[in-house]
Amino acid sequence: MSRIGVFVCHCGENISRTVDVEQVAKAAGEIPGVAFSCDYKYMCSDPGQTLLKKAVAEHKLDGVLVAACSPRMHEKTFRKAAEAAGLNPYLCEMANIREHCSWVHEDRDMATAKAKDIVKLMVERVRKGKSLAPITVPVTKRALVIGGGIAGIQAALDIADAGHKVVLVEREPSIGGHMAQLSETFPTLDCSQCIMTPKMVDVANHPNITLFTYSEIEKVDGYIGNFQVTVKHKARSVDESKCTGCGICMTKCPKKKIPNEFDQGHGMRPAIYVPFPQAVPNTPVIDRENCTMFQSGKCGVCAKVCGPGAVDYEQQDTFTVEDVGAIVVATGFKLYTIDRKPEGSPIQGYGEFGYGTIPDIIDGMTFERLASASGPTGGKILRPSDGKEPKQVVFIQCVGSRAREKGISYCSKVCCMYTAKHTMLYHHKVHDGQAYVFFMDARTPGKGYDEFWRRAVEEEEAVYIRGMVSRMYQRGDKIVVMGSDIQVGVQVEIEADLVVLATAVQPQDGADLLAQKLGISYDKYNFYSEAHAKLKPVECATAGIYLAGACQGPKDIPDTVSQASAAAAKVMTLFAKDKLERDPVVAKVNEKYCVGCFACKKVCAYGAIEEKEIRDRQGNLVKKVAYVNPGVCGGCGTCQATCPSKSIELDGYTDEQIMAMIEAL
Amino acid sequence: MKNKLMHLSNETMNIGFVKKVEALSGSSVRRCFQCGKCSAGCPMSTFMEHPPNRVVRLLQLGQGQRILAGRSIWYCASCETCTTRCPNKVDLAAIMDALRKLSWDADGPSKESYVQLANRLFIENIRTYGRQYELRLGAAFNMKSGQFLKDLMLGPKLISKGKLKMFHSKNKNIAEIEGIFKRIEEMRKKGEAL
Amino acid sequence: MTPGKKRLSYSYYPGCSLHASGREYDISTRALFKALNVGLKEVPDWFCCGATPAHNVDELLSLSLCAKNLSLAEEVEGDLAVACAACFSRLKTTQHHLKEDDTKRKQVEVAIDGPAALNKPVKHILEILAREYGLAKLEESVKKPLMGLKVAPYYGCLLTRPPGVPELDDCEDPSIMEDVLRALGAEPVKWSHRMECCGANFTLSRPGVVLKLSNAILESARIAGADCIMVACPLCHGNLDIRQKEIKEAFGAPDSTLFGNIFGSELHGGSAPDQRDLPIFYVTQLAALAMGVASESLGFESVITDPKPLLRDKQLL
Repeated sequence: MSRIGVFVCHCGENISRTVDVEQVAKAAGEIPGVAFSCDYKYMCSDPGQTLLKKAVAEHKLDGVLVAACSPRMHEKTFRKAAEAAGLNPYLCEMANIREHCSWVHEDRDMATAKAKDIVKLMVERVRKGKSLAPITVPVTKRALVIGGGIAGIQAALDIADAGHKVVLVEREPSIGGHMAQLSETFPTLDCSQCIMTPKMVDVANHPNITLFTYSEIEKVDGYIGNFQVTVKHKARSVDESKCTGCGICMTKCPKKKIPNEFDQGHGMRPAIYVPFPQAVPNTPVIDRENCTMFQSGKCGVCAKVCGPGAVDYEQQDTFTVEDVGAIVVATGFKLYTIDRKPEGSPIQGYGEFGYGTIPDIIDGMTFERLASASGPTGGKILRPSDGKEPKQVVFIQCVGSRAREKGISYCSKVCCMYTAKHTMLYHHKVHDGQAYVFFMDARTPGKGYDEFWRRAVEEEEAVYIRGMVSRMYQRGDKIVVMGSDIQVGVQVEIEADLVVLATAVQPQDGADLLAQKLGISYDKYNFYSEAHAKLKPVECATAGIYLAGACQGPKDIPDTVSQASAAAAKVMTLFAKDKLERDPVVAKVNEKYCVGCFACKKVCAYGAIEEKEIRDRQGNLVKKVAYVNPGVCGGCGTCQATCPSKSIELDGYTDEQIMAMIEAL
Repeated sequence: MKNKLMHLSNETMNIGFVKKVEALSGSSVRRCFQCGKCSAGCPMSTFMEHPPNRVVRLLQLGQGQRILAGRSIWYCASCETCTTRCPNKVDLAAIMDALRKLSWDADGPSKESYVQLANRLFIENIRTYGRQYELRLGAAFNMKSGQFLKDLMLGPKLISKGKLKMFHSKNKNIAEIEGIFKRIEEMRKKGEAL
Repeated sequence: MTPGKKRLSYSYYPGCSLHASGREYDISTRALFKALNVGLKEVPDWFCCGATPAHNVDELLSLSLCAKNLSLAEEVEGDLAVACAACFSRLKTTQHHLKEDDTKRKQVEVAIDGPAALNKPVKHILEILAREYGLAKLEESVKKPLMGLKVAPYYGCLLTRPPGVPELDDCEDPSIMEDVLRALGAEPVKWSHRMECCGANFTLSRPGVVLKLSNAILESARIAGADCIMVACPLCHGNLDIRQKEIKEAFGAPDSTLFGNIFGSELHGGSAPDQRDLPIFYVTQLAALAMGVASESLGFESVITDPKPLLRDKQLL
C-alpha cells in the first residue's frame, strides 16, 4: 500500500491544547508512502468526514489513518466514511492521540513527539492491512428464557407477544419465583399473588411459549443467533400429559409432614406435591428423597388413587436440545442466611445473633409467608416457636448487606422498602403490637417510595431507631435485642417476641456454574455482569445473551419488570434481521503449521475453537487441527498470543502488522 | 464541652491528629459509616460521655481534642467486642489504644485520673520488678489516689489466702527490661517511633 | 516416631497473676499436666507481658515486652503453654501484629535488641486439652466424672476475640469449654453471658464498674441453673470470686426480714431472689479433679467463694 492519507484531528482543543497537530500532520506527510496529510478541528463532524471522502477520491488513497480519539469512540464513523468513498472499511484505522496522549500529558513538546510516533507506527499498520469482509450468520428466531420468576415471565411474554417462539426453563416444579411468595407489594400494598398468578397463567396458555418446569440447563453450544441448548428435564415421577391436576394424590399421600420450601419451611407438604395451590403447571412432582415408595419400595398410594394413571415411579431424567437465537438469563436471587458458613467461605454468618439457632429470629421472606393469606398461618402473624401472637417485633435492616466484615459490602436495595411494608402489615394485623426498626439509613429512591416509608413512621407508628444491633440472645421466651440509638447516644435493649432480619440479596446457588456454561462473566458475588454499567445494562459481553432481574444485582419488582422488557426488546431487535453481520476481526488458523496441541482451545474465553480433522483423499486421518468458528470468535487475540507454533492470527492484527509497527519506532 | 458549637474549617479540624491515630492503630477512621453496632455491644458504653461510635465520629470531624477532654477512652475495657463485630473492620479497640497513648503523651487533660494512675503504677511496677506484684500495686494505688480505705477488708483476707505475695524473688532479666524501656524512649526521642 | 506415641511436652508461661492472686490456677495446671503425663517446663525468668495497661497506653512497649518473652521461651523446648487468658491474648496479638506489620516489627527489634521470634506456637491450656491431648483421650483418662455438676463455662473477652488473632475457636459461638466439660462428665449449661466483659482490670481503678458487669454475669449463670462457673483467666476469676460477696451486698435484694413481709410477693413473685453462692473454678481445677487429683493439691483453700460445700454435695470430694 503506497497511497495513505493521514488526517489529524484537533478535537476542538482536546488534542491541540497539548499536541501541535500541524507539526504532526507535517511529519506524517514525510513518511514514505503517505500521499496526503492534513489537520482539522473536528474530523468526526460532517465537514471533517467530507474532507476525508474528498481526499480519498482526489489523491486516489488506498489506506486511511485518522489520528484522533479512541477507536471505541469513532472507528465506526470513519470506516463508514471510508467505505462511502469506495475504500474497504478495514483499510481505515485510527491512531489514538487523545486518551493515549493529549489527555495524559502536559509537556507540549513531548506530547507532540509522542503523537508523531503513534502516527508513524499506525501508518505501518495501515500499510500492511488487508481488505476484510464482514461475516454474516443466520438467526434462529426462537428465544430461551432461563428462570420463571417475574423477570423470566415478563421477558417470555413480551417476546412471545411480538410473535416469536420462546422456551421458558424453570428449575422448580412451578413458575412464579419469589414474587409468588410475597404477601403484599410496596408501595401500593397490592396483593402479590393477585397480580402475579394471571401472568403465570398467560405463560401457560401462550401459543408461542413452551414451558419446561423442573428442568435445568445442562449445556450451551453455539453462538449468537445459533445456540444449541441442552435442557435436562428432571424426572417428575408424574406424566404431565396424563395428569389432570385433580390433587387426589396429594391428599392421600401418607407422608405429609415435610417442611414446605415455598413457606420457608414453616408449612407442611406431602411427598407428592405442588409448591402452592396456584402453581403453574398444576402438575405435582414426587420429592424422591422424602417419598416412602422411593426410599423403601413400600407405599404406592398415589399411583393407586390416580385415575388417569399419571404417576410413574420409573420415570427417568430426559434431555432435549433446543435451537435458539437468543438467551435471556433471569435466574433471580436467594436470601443470605445468618447460619455459620463452611470454613474458608468468603461469606460469614452472624454468631452474635446465634447463627440461626433462635427460632423466633426469622428473615423477611418468612415474614412474608406469615403475613400471606395463603401462608402457613392463614395470614395471622404468629411466631414459629410457640404460635403466639408477638406483641413486640424488632426488625433489623442491613443484615449481611453493607457488612464487608461478613463478606458482602453492597446494599441490597429492596430491604428499606420491604421492612417499612412489614411494619405496616404487622400494624394492620396486630393492633396492640409495636414494631421497632433498627436501621442505618432509609434508602427510598423511587416513585412514591419515600412517602411510603414516612407513612410507616408517621401513620403506622413504627418506631425507627437509627443504630445497629450488636447481639441477640434468648431470655425465657423473649429475645433480648441489644442495640443502640446513635442519635440519642444511648444503648437500647428491647425484649422482643419476634425478630425479623432484612437479610442480604444474593445470587441463586449455582449462578456461577450456569454462567460458566453460558460463557458469561460474573462478579465476585456471582452476580452476572452487564456489558456496560450505563449504556448496555441488559446485554452480556457475550453476544446474544441478555440479563433480566436480580441475577444481575439486587432489584425490586418494578425495576425487574423494566429490565425484563428491555431484555425482550433487545431480543426482538436481534430477531428483526434474518442475517447477522459481525465484525470480521476474528482469528484464523494456518492449518499447515498447526500441530493440534489445542492450547488455544483451553484459553479461548468464547468457546470458539473446535477440533477439525484433516483427511487425505482416501479418507485417512492425517491430523487434527484447530478451527476457529468465526461466528463465535470475539477477536480478543488470546489464542494468537498462546499458540506455540505461531499458527493462529487475528485478522486486522496480524504478526506482520504488529512487527511493522514495532520496527517503525 | 459536649454541646459546644463546632466550627468546622481546615484550621479547626486537626487531621494531623487523626492521621497519628490511624498510624498507631493501623485502622482507618473514614471507613466507619456510623451504624452504632460498637456502642450497642460495648459493656462500658453507659459509663462514657461519648459512646464508641461518637468517638470515631469526632475523629472523622478532626475533633480529637473533644475526645481527650472527656473520660470515654479511659473507660474502655479493651474487651474487643467492637472490633469483633464492626461491619467495616474498623479496629476500634486499637483506635482506643492509640487515643490513650496520645492522651498519655500529652499528659492528657482527661478527668479520668484513677485509670491513668493505675496504668502508670502498673507499668512502673514492670520497669522496677519485671513482674507484677498485686499487693504493691494495690497499696500504691490507694496511697496515691488518696483512697486509703478502699478494699480495706479485702487485703488481709487475700494475704491469708496466699493470693497476695508479701515478698518477691529477683528477676534475672531486670536489666533487659530497663533496656527495652530505654531503647523505646530513645527511638521516640529520635522520632523513629510514635 | 509417630506423633501419637511421643510424650506431649510444653514450655510454660504462667504470667504474674498465676504466681499471686491466681496461684491456684498455676498449682492446678501443674497438677493436671502431671496427672495426664504431659510435660510442662516453666520459661526461666520470664517477665510481665504488660497485660492490658501496657497496650492501653503504649502498644510498642506491650509488643516489645511480649516479643522479649517469646524469645526467652525459644530457649525451652515445646510449644508455649499459656493459662492466663490475658497473657495468651497479648502473646498471640504480638505474633499476629508483628507478622503483618513490618514497621512495628522493626521497631520492636530495636527495642528488644534482637530479632523477634514469632514462630513458636502459643497454645492455651484449653487448646492443649481439647485438641492436642484430645477430647477422646481426655474422656478416657477421667477417673472421677463430674457427674451432675452444672457448670456455666465463662469465656470472657480475650480467649476468642478479635477475629483472626487468638484462633482458639469461633469468635461469637465457641464450644471448646463445653467440649472439655462434657469430656470431664460435667454438664455445661446454656447461658447468655459467657462472653460478656467482667470489668477486667477496672477492679483496681474503678471497682464500681466491676461490680455492675460481674453482677450481670453471676445473675445470668444463676438464671441458667448453673452450680458454678468455670473460667480460664485469673482476672475474671478475681472479679467473680473475690468480689462476689461485695456484689451481693451492692445489688442483692433488700433484706427479707426487713421488707419481705411487707412487699414479699409483689416484689419477687412470691419467691426469694436467687442469691446462691457460685463457686468459680479454673478449667484446670475441674479437669484435675476429674482426673482423680486430690482436692488438697488444687488450691481450693485460696478461693474466697468456698467450693467445698458444692463439691461435697455432688460427691466430688
